[in-house]
Amino acid sequence: MASTTRARLGEEVWKSRTDKINAELVTLTYGSVVAQLCKDLDGDYAEVNKQLDKMGYNIGLRLIEDFLAKSNMQQKCANFRDTADVISKVGFKMFLNIIPTIANWSSDNKQFSLLLDENPLADFVELPDDGKAQGELWYSNMLCGVIRGALEMVQMQVDVHFVSDILRGHDTTEMRITLIRYIDDEMPQDDE
Amino acid sequence: MVVYSFFIFDRHCECIYIRQWLESTSTPAPAQPLSRPVTASSATTTATSTAEKPTSGNKLSMAEQAKLVFGVIFSLRNMVKKLCGPDDSFLCFRTGHYKLHYYETITSLRFVMLTDIRTENLKLSLHQIYVNLYVEYVVKNPLSPVEHAGGEGVNNEMFELGIDGFVRTIQ
Repeated sequence: MASTTRARLGEEVWKSRTDKINAELVTLTYGSVVAQLCKDLDGDYAEVNKQLDKMGYNIGLRLIEDFLAKSNMQQKCANFRDTADVISKVGFKMFLNIIPTIANWSSDNKQFSLLLDENPLADFVELPDDGKAQGELWYSNMLCGVIRGALEMVQMQVDVHFVSDILRGHDTTEMRITLIRYIDDEMPQDDE
Repeated sequence: MVVYSFFIFDRHCECIYIRQWLESTSTPAPAQPLSRPVTASSATTTATSTAEKPTSGNKLSMAEQAKLVFGVIFSLRNMVKKLCGPDDSFLCFRTGHYKLHYYETITSLRFVMLTDIRTENLKLSLHQIYVNLYVEYVVKNPLSPVEHAGGEGVNNEMFELGIDGFVRTIQ
């Protein structure tokens, strides 16, 4: 499937097959989750990142089925570049109505970055001014988990993490995605 | 057309859902030797074997049937991919008495339906079951677990009703 076809597919799914809710509701709900985690974990931001990633992972495990059902994809991506294209143009478009820019491919085609030019999760957000959050909290870390969970279900083990975030004062919001390996089909248990 | 039975297998090769519609109708089975409903030879579409109706009154339990069905679809699917490359996919096979339809999602969920032999290919219908029933009532059900060991979470009422209604519409 060509890149432009995917862009069109993403557009079409977003327009006709996605139930939409108010963006501010999403933003504020996500904000409350993060704020509550920060409070519960007493400002242990490394742990907050971890919990957000875990929540995202559990979302991703299910979200992939919804994604496949709505996008009507029946064929696996031929390579990791295709996968990146689908994540950006169909996945992000379908669920968040944004199309992150794909950039910074590594030479072995196993690592790329998604640049989130706009991030609906981070509207209205200022990180806590306690001297720690600016350096430790990855506010949108749930997205990493979502991608990790979703790709695991389609037999790709990946590592996803943020490398920069506008909220922290960087110029861009960048996620780094690394393919670790393709997971083999599971074999049935031999019981005879 | 007549639908005999329906199976879902998850990515761990476990049968997470079984449904059977027709109980034994014609074949007076008790005297017959235990016939395996799906064997490798039945996949060659020869109509030779006598009592291979999957739902006839042979003594195989549904769990055993599911195991055999999985064995066959797993091998056939791998064979098809080996012979024709990853773009090809296994759709169905028929014997003298029944037809087996197969649909696999990218997430390695496998949907299998056994019907009578006159039925057209049901790949689309199985895809619709996935999209409209499985995703809606199983995946999106917040109370159902992510992994459905032992069929937990799949056998909920909405899904059952949905399947029943759907099968009625394609009959």
